[in-house]
Amino acid sequence: ETWDMPTPYGDSVFHTANIIEFAEDVTEATDGDLEITVHSAGSLFAHPEIKDAVRRGLAPIGETLMSRLANEDPIFAIDSIPFLASNYDDAMKLWEASRPMVEEKLAEQGLTLLYAVPWPGQSLFTAGPVESTADLEGAAFRAYNNATERLAQLMGAVPTQIETGDIPTAFSTGRADAMITSPSTGVSSQAWDFVSNYTELQAWLPKNMVIVNSRAFDALSDDTKAAVLEAAAAAETRGWEMSKAETAEKLAVLEENGMTISDPSETLSAELAEIGETMTAEWLEEAGEEGQSVVDAYHAE
Amino acid sequence: MRQTLDRLYTGALMLAAAAFAAIAALVLVQILGRLIDRGARLIGAAPLGITVPSLAEIGGMLFLSAVFLGLAGTFCRGGHVRVGLLTGALPPRIARPLEALVLILAAGLCLFATWSSVLQTWDSWVYDSVSFGMVRVPLWLPQGVMTLGLILLLVALLDGLVTLLRGGTPGYAAQEQGEA
Amino acid sequence: MEIAVLAPLLVVVLFAALAAGLWIGFALIAVGLVAMLAASTAPVTLVFATKVWGSLTVWDLTSLPMFIWMGEILVRSRLSSDMFEGLAPFTRRLPGRLLHVNVLGCALFAAVSGSSAATTATIGRMSIPELTARGYDPKMAIGTLAGAGTFGFLIPPSIILIVYGAATEQSIAQLFLAGLVPGVMLAAMFSGYIMIWAMLNPTRMPDIEPAVNGRDSLRALARLLPVVGLIIAVIGSIYAGIASPTEAAVIGVVGAMILAWATGAASWRGIGDSLMAASTTTCMIAFIMAGAGFLTVAMGYTGIPRALAAWIGAMDLSPYALLAALTVFFIIMGMFLDGISIVVLTVSIILPMVTAVGLDPIWFGVFLVIVVEMSQITPPVGFNLFVLQKITGRDILQLAGYALPFFLILVAAVALLSVFPQIALWLPRTM
Ligand code: NA
Ligand code: NA
Repeated sequence: ETWDMPTPYGDSVFHTANIIEFAEDVTEATDGDLEITVHSAGSLFAHPEIKDAVRRGLAPIGETLMSRLANEDPIFAIDSIPFLASNYDDAMKLWEASRPMVEEKLAEQGLTLLYAVPWPGQSLFTAGPVESTADLEGAAFRAYNNATERLAQLMGAVPTQIETGDIPTAFSTGRADAMITSPSTGVSSQAWDFVSNYTELQAWLPKNMVIVNSRAFDALSDDTKAAVLEAAAAAETRGWEMSKAETAEKLAVLEENGMTISDPSETLSAELAEIGETMTAEWLEEAGEEGQSVVDAYHAE
Repeated sequence: MRQTLDRLYTGALMLAAAAFAAIAALVLVQILGRLIDRGARLIGAAPLGITVPSLAEIGGMLFLSAVFLGLAGTFCRGGHVRVGLLTGALPPRIARPLEALVLILAAGLCLFATWSSVLQTWDSWVYDSVSFGMVRVPLWLPQGVMTLGLILLLVALLDGLVTLLRGGTPGYAAQEQGEA
Repeated sequence: MEIAVLAPLLVVVLFAALAAGLWIGFALIAVGLVAMLAASTAPVTLVFATKVWGSLTVWDLTSLPMFIWMGEILVRSRLSSDMFEGLAPFTRRLPGRLLHVNVLGCALFAAVSGSSAATTATIGRMSIPELTARGYDPKMAIGTLAGAGTFGFLIPPSIILIVYGAATEQSIAQLFLAGLVPGVMLAAMFSGYIMIWAMLNPTRMPDIEPAVNGRDSLRALARLLPVVGLIIAVIGSIYAGIASPTEAAVIGVVGAMILAWATGAASWRGIGDSLMAASTTTCMIAFIMAGAGFLTVAMGYTGIPRALAAWIGAMDLSPYALLAALTVFFIIMGMFLDGISIVVLTVSIILPMVTAVGLDPIWFGVFLVIVVEMSQITPPVGFNLFVLQKITGRDILQLAGYALPFFLILVAAVALLSVFPQIALWLPRTM
């Protein structure tokens, strides 16, 4: 059997590289009984369509950013609450605490979660040094979802919508002054062309998840299922390591190209921690008891 | 009947035009908001931060809705292009049956498209699918508009077929000849 | 079904559907449907709607109706014919005269719009009626536009370079810089061809405009100003950070309305008519895009483009031979699929082979854009041809004939670019 697998990002992105390895592992472990054809860079279905395409059985398996589903259920936004889990260890703990709930919500849609791998932490890109949020007062701050919009407001900045492809133009023409994104996006958009400072916040580590259509998955033989799950577990472990390596590598590229890399000042850290608490509280209001149980489990670890 | 149908196609096309104009209006608000903020910063006041939330996503949905609402009206005005060089050279006794066949084919394909769109709208309704941006738009809404537009195009194609089979000249064909 | 059987079958279906006079959008849907039924077990019913929804709810597409609307307002208010009136005295001595307006106009407009269809539709709506009314050979008036309309992709901003950059993790800023000099070179090649043609065919050029004195040329200049000012305002709004490239199209609409009102040429009725005209043109183009989107996903399921690209890769060619093979591959694929789809479908196979023979990925992006530009003017599926059919009422096959010389110039440009890669790489490497 052959499975078509739409994925959003290009071949050189580490998530895609990991998926290609995962697909090879599956083929090998099943002796070719199940082959996965990876259609990267949105070549079969583009990012906005992938989740529904998998749910509808148009493609048996696919990859998507978990927080894209935030409007469907607050649980999918848990890895995008700023400063709730702002390093790899905490992100892993948060994932372990939230995974059962995420799996449950996906199962309601007929989807089975295979694994999830985080992007490098989201950090601050600005034209000048940022000592405290006062330096961002009134700045045009790139927002691309509810969480980033709220974050901008709480920092006193003005949230501004900028599409990914528009980032370089927006910054160089003054439509945007600051953004919070991963060093990966920083490098791919050549951030050094239009901003000079990188403040390492790792505010949150959003994850990509690989999902399968449950009907397609259940139709596999038990051996094949086991092989897929095993390859998925290996891909998850490998992916987290790749993500850490990516952080170091892309940071080095930013530095090589003359960006000033710095850790947040104590003032900024304190201010941001407070914003994080506010946003966690606001998320809990929306997510209710279910959300509270996940956050409690996270803090208990 | 004729008049009712023509009004239906034109009415939907005018709605499409209104949706395109709405995109322009939203973008204009966004640009003006940006200019006001810039002015405010120049005089040292706090920016108002007027933006149209989810403009990109809503603009995309308006575009899709407009396109599908306008399909039937565009068709009746002979607005959809095709290769006419070969069929144009045929004598009427072959050209008319061939045109009927083409209309039947187009209607069949349109039926497939419509059914596909109905399924998608239904699916989005059942699963309560929503947009991912800052404004939580239920997807069945624009997808329902897409379905409506396709139904209307199907009606227009069948309308043309009936006219042709009755020995008349469908509106779109008259328009196409007028243009060439 | 084997690809060796399926691919020719699909070509036959497409040609039969088009020859019978099926509308282009439906013809593409028909081919997609046959491909899906023959080669995929995925449920085709929902594939269609999912893909069409995905390929049309795209923010960047919203600039298409806006630019077309702007053009319709300018035409109805006679502002565009004023512009030609104004330009005429200044092009008297230039061989080819006002024919160059298509090249210059498209190059300027391409600096605003990332899409070739929008460029062709907007400039063509203004220039074709003017040029034909002034007695220019329609073959040249339309051919130059078909060719120059493809600049929308090469001169930044460019949708296709953004797609390529996103898929291959190349810097979009670098790609834009790399497209600039080749864009200017192509414009020069097109203008050169116009001059040579005009000198060889003096009888097919209209009578020369009467000479004008100083005061008349000032008056002519004044007629030129509104539209030129509008174009500058649109470009300026991007660089001043007032509007994003997509939003700038609306500046064009509002500016055209203001100009129309200021010159007393506007009426509510005229604005309404221009909007209706823009709507039908947009619906026409978007319906074909919907069909093309469905055909693209069907091609993804069949694996034909990947298999063909992999087949070229397996031949182990030298760099020049590989580029020649890829050019032929893209020209053939470009006859049936739209250019962006081909890039999306094949880039993950092609880029590794290109970098393996030592070609620069930024350079290859520019190479891709030019071969994709060719696909815009090759029949039976070429978006510039569809737009031109709408504007001129002439048939696609006839239009493709008019565009042929410019297709050949594009081929020559690709050859030049391959021999002298610095044409693309010089600017991004020095800045
Ligand atoms: Na352009
Ligand atoms: Na073509």
